[in-house]
Amino acid sequence: MMQNISKLFRNCGHRFLLPKFPMSTLESIESNPLDSELVPPSSSLAKSLNFKRKLESMPPNMEPKQAWLENLNTTDEEKISILELHPQVFGSMPRIDVIHKNVRWQTFYGRMDLHQAASRAELPGGGRKPWPQKGLGRARHGSNRSPLFYNGGKSHGPRAPKSYFYMLPYDLRILGLTTTLSVKLAQDDLHIVESLDIPTDDQQYIEELVQTRMWGPSVLFVDEQDVMPENITKATENIGHFNLMPAYGLNVFSMLKHDTLVLTLAALNRIEHQLLLNIHRNKNGKHQFRYMPSHH
Amino acid sequence: MAVNRNVVDRALAVLRTLPRVSLYNLKDHEHRKKRSARGQHGGGTHGHGKKFRQNYLPLGFESGNTPFHLRFGMEKYYKRYRLEREYPPVSLLMLQKMIDTNRLDTTQPIDLSSICNSGVYSMNINFNHHGVNLTDEEGFDQFCAKINIEVQWASEGAIAAIERNGGVITTSYYDPLCLHAVTDPARFFLKGDPIPKRMIPPEDAIEYYSSADNRGYLADPEKVSLARLALAQKYGYELPKIEDDPDYTMLTMRKDPRQIFYGLEPGWVVSLKDKAILKPKDKELLEYYRT
Repeated sequence: MMQNISKLFRNCGHRFLLPKFPMSTLESIESNPLDSELVPPSSSLAKSLNFKRKLESMPPNMEPKQAWLENLNTTDEEKISILELHPQVFGSMPRIDVIHKNVRWQTFYGRMDLHQAASRAELPGGGRKPWPQKGLGRARHGSNRSPLFYNGGKSHGPRAPKSYFYMLPYDLRILGLTTTLSVKLAQDDLHIVESLDIPTDDQQYIEELVQTRMWGPSVLFVDEQDVMPENITKATENIGHFNLMPAYGLNVFSMLKHDTLVLTLAALNRIEHQLLLNIHRNKNGKHQFRYMPSHH
Repeated sequence: MAVNRNVVDRALAVLRTLPRVSLYNLKDHEHRKKRSARGQHGGGTHGHGKKFRQNYLPLGFESGNTPFHLRFGMEKYYKRYRLEREYPPVSLLMLQKMIDTNRLDTTQPIDLSSICNSGVYSMNINFNHHGVNLTDEEGFDQFCAKINIEVQWASEGAIAAIERNGGVITTSYYDPLCLHAVTDPARFFLKGDPIPKRMIPPEDAIEYYSSADNRGYLADPEKVSLARLALAQKYGYELPKIEDDPDYTMLTMRKDPRQIFYGLEPGWVVSLKDKAILKPKDKELLEYYRT
């Protein structure tokens, strides 16, 4: 029976197989930052290290993008090492139309239009014939709430509630994220830091940091988890244009709303992994990736 | 996405010199079609102008007393369309590519399950798709894999290309109920249904699947070996001897005419959760699923 089972899994196991790219183009990796146990090196230690990242499913014809790994524990910028970023996530074609589609979708799908105009049936009165049908030389009318009348009802007016909900195609949402990340990197608006740990919970510290590094004015800090370090939470609490966000909440609108995007190394790994998974996932004939409205 | 990397890098380089992309300078492609004017003030001639060429009828205008649907005889182009079986094609080139990109394992027999699980081939049972049609229009010369493949339809050239390389090909029929199981085994096993018994082909297909020339799964094996020899002579290649092949057991693996998965018999229930196989014991069931 064991033999049968092994055959069975052979038959049904290939669904999520990634195409195998030759991995010879990659350098040998000493450390895998995806491991949760491996803490990114502290700034003093890491100066001598070239902190390498393993880029998964790397196409052979592409070269990785690069970015500095920076610190947050001093207001002055300290470049710790160079990071390699995946070109399919951080070097995709800057399609402004795709970004526009994503922003439009994000602003529209939750919108509920409550504008309503009263029809002739909803207005009070209007049951009496305003004047006799014949003999006055005036046009014939049966109700003073007719749409022709001043103060009459509105025909084909807006009817509430009107939903603007629609779903952008799945691949376009993925492409929107990669495009926006690429644009941010290309315009020097993307910064990668070790972690969001800052020495004080002073508001002035983070303001000074942003000013000396010429970030912002508005900055979006993205960490992997939704429980943020205490200091940065307190320091940014009363500043409306410095915002914290977990990696799972990253979206096109917020990235564009803020001038500068700051990712932690853990968030970077998480975002890159998730996006690559969705880029390379075999979606052939799989309906769970498509939004299917229920039939009424 | 096949884009020129040079173009992408240049576009990203240009973007460095441009103002920051933000919510306020986004723009979509201009693809909106202008709607022709309607209503009291904007409507009117709908692009036909005023007073000229008024003798011509607008396009699509139906004149006369005989209605359109009675004026012409009925031409049923799609008369038997819903009844006819379709076989979405896979060319030899595509098959070779699937093997080269590790989507198909040549050390095991290839059947409809493994082709569907490759993720490159898609078929819809609701559209009367009945499986793979292996064609030789592309990749007849390039095909170089030694495989044991089972397809649902095959051209003569495709059969020759497989057998020239020392492979084995069979054409076999699956009824729609079995196709649901074969095309997505994982989903089928999650349902917890017993593996169905494969039905015999319908009347108009039984000739195809019992013909040795088509390597039908119901054909006489002796006639098939003769047909293999005849085809080798016709196409002018030397038929490799399967008996001397190190992969002899793999190449001679065949499904029973009632069987749809290798190693699993009809009537068995596969539990993916417990990783166990349940076999029927009831006499009536055994009688029903007997091959």
